Amino acid sequence: MPLNDDDFMRYSRHLLMGDIGELGQQRLSDARVLIVGLGGLGCPVALYLVAAGVGQIGLCDPDRVDKTNLQRQVLYRTDDCGSLKVGCAKQALEALNPGVTISAFARPIDKEILADGYHLVVDCTDNLAARQIINDACYAQRIPFVSAAAVGWEGQLVAFDFGRFRSLCFNCIIDHNSAEPMMNCANSGVVGPVLGIMGSMQATTVIRLLLGYFKQHGEMTRYDGKRGQWLSMHCSRNQQCPTCGAASV
Amino acid sequence: MIDLLFFGRLGDLAAEVDRSVTCVDGRATPLAIREWLATEHQSLAKELSEPQVLVSVNKMIVKWDQPLFDGDELAFLPPVTGG
Repeated sequence: MPLNDDDFMRYSRHLLMGDIGELGQQRLSDARVLIVGLGGLGCPVALYLVAAGVGQIGLCDPDRVDKTNLQRQVLYRTDDCGSLKVGCAKQALEALNPGVTISAFARPIDKEILADGYHLVVDCTDNLAARQIINDACYAQRIPFVSAAAVGWEGQLVAFDFGRFRSLCFNCIIDHNSAEPMMNCANSGVVGPVLGIMGSMQATTVIRLLLGYFKQHGEMTRYDGKRGQWLSMHCSRNQQCPTCGAASV
Repeated sequence: MIDLLFFGRLGDLAAEVDRSVTCVDGRATPLAIREWLATEHQSLAKELSEPQVLVSVNKMIVKWDQPLFDGDELAFLPPVTGG
């Protein structure tokens, strides 16, 4: 849908930028993005993408808001406790930007949701099984996949532009047979703003991908909030990867 | 010499570890260094044996049997999976 007068006002700070402008804003408006997981990462990702005017957003999470979420999951209010996260998030996001179409899926991620024509998927989940489902579906459909995670003071970001690169995927980096680590947010805690930083990195990466500025396929970035340190590393294809390795072709 | 980097919370457990180790070129691996660490730093070695701990050499994620050479920087990265 072409930008209207209200859009020109709302997105004026994008339109002022030479490397976004009207064409870039139109690309954002035409995009369909699925956000899987509406916890500490999914909240800032959804807020920034809806505010930025990404035209259609899917929200997927089976959980209900719990009081222990409120320390870091910034879309929810105390009165939301007990309600479905996707319902509360949809309401808050529509109030932020009624021009964005939001779909809600109150169930765990599955192949049916992932096959619904999204241009890009954002992984804000908290477990390896969900990441593998998303990775495999995005690889098969040649759509970009932006993944992040956080625990304690630490965060991780890695993104794959499967539309342009067919080697190297999430399963090359984390063995698909790996067990879940002992330490997670529920048993070890997490600093809220660390999730905000990693979620903001994800949202920025989504915008870069949609605008054609992303060139770091499979590069992993780590953040240590306690020491204020960043580390970026390259990854390489695992020839035995069940998703993209030589045996899978 | 091989420089060791213990990222994030691993740095707390590795406070007493010498960050430079001497190895014969091509003989040492991240796995061998983890086993060497286990002789004196059991809690660190236990953490390094957790699922999804990654290792990088010169900012490239590698497997645990990657041969190491003089001047390499070996980084241990703790698992991060929450969201």
